[in-house]
Amino acid sequence: MNKKKISGNMKVMVAQLLFISIVLVVVLVVYPKVEADLNEDSVSFKSINANAIIISSSPDFSNPRYVEVEDNLSLNLKPGTYYWKASNDLLNGFGRSFVVESEVGLDIEDDELTNTGNVILNITETEGGFLVGHIILGPDESSEIENKNDGEYVGRQK
Amino acid sequence: MNKLIRCLFFVFVMLFVLSSVSALGVTPGRTTMDLSSGLTKSIPFTVLNDAEQDMQVVFYVQGELKDYITLSDNNVRFSSSEGSNSFNYNVNLPGDLSPGLHEAEVVIMRIPDASEDGTFVGATVAVVTQLHAYVPCPGKCIESELNVLSDETTATRFVLPVVNRGKVGIGSLRANIDIYTPLNERIASLNTDSTSLDPKSRTELVVDWDGNASVGSYIARVTVFYDELSISFDKEFAIGDASLSIDSIYVNNFKLGEIAKLNILVENKWNKNLDEVFANLIVYDKNNDVMADVKSSTDLIPALSKKELIAYWDTVGVKVGVYDGKLTVDYGKGEADKNLALDVNKDELSITGVGYVVGSGDQGGKFEIKNILIILVIVLIAINALWFILLKRVMKRRK
Repeated sequence: MNKKKISGNMKVMVAQLLFISIVLVVVLVVYPKVEADLNEDSVSFKSINANAIIISSSPDFSNPRYVEVEDNLSLNLKPGTYYWKASNDLLNGFGRSFVVESEVGLDIEDDELTNTGNVILNITETEGGFLVGHIILGPDESSEIENKNDGEYVGRQK
Repeated sequence: MNKLIRCLFFVFVMLFVLSSVSALGVTPGRTTMDLSSGLTKSIPFTVLNDAEQDMQVVFYVQGELKDYITLSDNNVRFSSSEGSNSFNYNVNLPGDLSPGLHEAEVVIMRIPDASEDGTFVGATVAVVTQLHAYVPCPGKCIESELNVLSDETTATRFVLPVVNRGKVGIGSLRANIDIYTPLNERIASLNTDSTSLDPKSRTELVVDWDGNASVGSYIARVTVFYDELSISFDKEFAIGDASLSIDSIYVNNFKLGEIAKLNILVENKWNKNLDEVFANLIVYDKNNDVMADVKSSTDLIPALSKKELIAYWDTVGVKVGVYDGKLTVDYGKGEADKNLALDVNKDELSITGVGYVVGSGDQGGKFEIKNILIILVIVLIAINALWFILLKRVMKRRK
């Protein structure tokens, strides 16, 4: 009687394990698989079975941006933290995140000052230790300056 | 010959050497630290030598929190082969900072290159990596701003990123946006959906404005409600760009050799006045050299209206012929321009734009006394001939 009961319980357990295994395999097969590769301010996505990327600057995915997955999909993004998940017709993947770092860069060539970074800069201009002005420059924007020996240009993220 | 080549090479090399280039970069530009997760932290940053030059940089700290920051290095030399180098600074903040934002700056300054006699050449360049340290508010407090995403073809989208800077979660967070014209008329009132927000979390409230708003400048008055509290702020935004079009250009009573009065009709399509608008007509001769460069006086064009700009062209010395020209109207925020063909005759100036006629010649020409006299003589000859024929027929019948 006990043997019969144990054998019955075993059958149930095996059936449950089988069921869980099948479900896990199915989920593994249909789970949207995407790899993100971040390179400075550009992120590229490589997908096997995803239709779209859902990307947001908030962890709760409020105001999301839906991007259809194509071959060699690459997005240029402003500096910040981004949250994303892959999606196909059956499932939405887990949320993941990456950070596009801000870069502050200044270049003086002859009499031209250029913002070589990826953020808007507030540049203070001093002469002989005295503040003489501010220059606001967007990425890749330039401004004519007097390249004086006692001049100093300090760039900071606006 | 060899000497000349050597001299030219020397001059070229000198020019290359004298052209001063000074470049410097740092990433990240800003690090945000939440003090609720600890008062001590080591923060990495990378100095970039994009120009790949030999250079010396110094680091120093400034700002409110400068006494709580320790740098790992103060003076570093880069070789041209080093494109970047990573460093750290350690933050050890006191526990009694007041709630809100506290700042510090790590300044990375490039020591200017010295010339042979030891003097520095050119200005000094420096970049900053900022530290923003937030001390949470004891109760409920939020930080928000308004971003407006619009173009002329789709609905305008209002996005309000909201960060909970308090220690307490928010159960109901929503926003109301009232939109006003520059004349302070409210034209729309929008409400976002309601959501909740955990402490230290960020969300975005979104609402679309589907109204057929014309291009122009508007003011958004925003109120963000968080539970029983609210904050309000205004933001000016624009749909489309300030624009002005050239409607027509015409000349009355043109006489070659005299000063021609050019009437340039422009339309302000923006919902705000455009100040300091002026027109500039450039006429090119057959060799494509500038023959005339004429500017109108500066004028104000009221919002959404048309106005004439007047310019005067002295045609002394100008010969009969067809000339190319370019009319530009500068309105501060941009320019409108048209390529023109100017057909100059003795008593007429026809101005034609590309694919359309923007002006006529002497518009009073049709009613000139000379033309009237010619028409009168023709009519009199015709009446005389008619009278003569009728008289002849009458005479025949009598016979």
